[in-house]
Amino acid sequence: MIVSEQAPYIQVENLVYQYPDGTVALHGIDLAIHHGDFIALIGQNGSGKTTLSKCLNGLFKPTQGRVVVDSLDTRTTSITQMAKRVGYVFQNPDHQLFNSNVWDEIAYGPRNIQLPEEEVKARVEEAIRVVGLEERYLEQHPFFLTKGLRQRVAIGSILALRPKVIIVDEPTTGQDIKQSLEIMDFLANLHRERGHIIIVITHDMPIVARYAKRTVVLGMGEILADGPTREVFAQPDVLAKTFVEPPQITQLAQVCVDLGFDPGTMTVEEMIVRFRELVS
Amino acid sequence: MALVHFENYIWKYTQTEVPALKGINLEIEEGTFVGIIGPNGAGKTTLAYSINGLIPNQYYGVRKGHVYVMGKETEDYRPDELTKIVGIVFSDPESQFTAMTVEDEVVFGMENIGLSVDEIQERLEWVVPLTKISPLMDKPPYEVSGGQKARVALASVLAMTPQILVLDEPTSMLDPISRKQVFDVLAQLKQEQHSTIIVIEHSLENLIPLADRMVLLYEGEVALVDDTEPFFEQMDFLLKRDVFPPGAIRFFYELLKGGYYQGELPLTLDEAAARLRTLMESRRR
Repeated sequence: MIVSEQAPYIQVENLVYQYPDGTVALHGIDLAIHHGDFIALIGQNGSGKTTLSKCLNGLFKPTQGRVVVDSLDTRTTSITQMAKRVGYVFQNPDHQLFNSNVWDEIAYGPRNIQLPEEEVKARVEEAIRVVGLEERYLEQHPFFLTKGLRQRVAIGSILALRPKVIIVDEPTTGQDIKQSLEIMDFLANLHRERGHIIIVITHDMPIVARYAKRTVVLGMGEILADGPTREVFAQPDVLAKTFVEPPQITQLAQVCVDLGFDPGTMTVEEMIVRFRELVS
Repeated sequence: MALVHFENYIWKYTQTEVPALKGINLEIEEGTFVGIIGPNGAGKTTLAYSINGLIPNQYYGVRKGHVYVMGKETEDYRPDELTKIVGIVFSDPESQFTAMTVEDEVVFGMENIGLSVDEIQERLEWVVPLTKISPLMDKPPYEVSGGQKARVALASVLAMTPQILVLDEPTSMLDPISRKQVFDVLAQLKQEQHSTIIVIEHSLENLIPLADRMVLLYEGEVALVDDTEPFFEQMDFLLKRDVFPPGAIRFFYELLKGGYYQGELPLTLDEAAARLRTLMESRRR
């Protein structure tokens, strides 16, 4: 993996977050997120993934430690300033969609940061083009679109604020495989073509293996592992601590390490290649 | 006689142009565990609702052909008769909750069909440990976690002791451990009760080890139906229809195609590991 020469875009230092009811969700997180990162954030429910995300976009302020985004400390930066830098797409798009048509939904963010109406129009048009929403949907109520389309509207409404970082919470939940691949290809394209830093929260390990360059494993509010996805998947004992299982083909390779298979195997194709080498 | 029998069954919702199901022929035998897969929009939920009578009782549409449950057309049952025979767990468990505590939720259905207090108690003693919900009994059902909700929903349906259990994507919103816990309950039901279980599911890794038969629905038709192992031998057919079987099965299918392996496809990780070991050792000798 190429290590960025630039300073990290987001620097998280000794981040502790305690909810008002006393629950400590994050216990001293250190994390640097760089330009060019495509990160999978994984871990069981309750491990702190969503809390961490909400600290990254400034919605939650650190109880201790600090989060610095684009040289701005989240504690002293307005939500508006943060929203221009880090966008968060909810797991359930219905939790963020509330306007009566798609156009107004996407325009809501830019209007909210008081951009002139011309600029709002330009940004909405750009967002619509990027997420690939057809003209005929723009006057429709988001509620009547399929989940995949509602998710696109949700991502579009975030894109209209032109954040550098896009955090997407479980984009493939409830989707079939084809729909999941479409959403992930779309995010990969935003990453590649437009230079967005993408952070995907997911339980879908084959998706992680296929798309994420880097994987961060959270468990009990701490970072258990952080590195290239292949290296992280090669540590099944660490994953097991937060009840994550790598893809089945990786598990098969790991059970058969003594036969000569690579514990970092990520695809069936890699497994086949290794098998051929071993039996030839 | 098949417990559930679809014969040239067509269902078209009034508000759509194209039928959701276009001539289904399918038999489900007593005591089998059937996995139904297919992309969203293939007609899976319509199929499930057609078994327990929600279709046509609660939906408007045009029906042709027949759906028999225990030899009798679903239309000819009184709705309450059919719901005693066919229990359905929805993909969104909250949609079936009505009570203020988990205990009341599980008891509600049983009281509704007039079971005695002793009978209710007896069934609770069976279903509560089975679904591991005893620590939740006093909590409001909408306050427990997603995985717990799924098990509460399952418990309240199981308490009605239906002859046929239908689960419509029971784990699609759950994290991997919660998902496994739901399938653990189903495994126990299969093993101890020999229940007839029909599961609609995208998560193949959990489904395959339990399924006796697999059905692929595609664009409103049964594209493929077979026992689980031969079903997955039709790998190219499945891949073309956006079904991606778990890695170990695909790996062995490739070995089979390449002439490295002969025999049945392994359906679990353990089976795959054991066969790979045998295969490598025989090659090395």
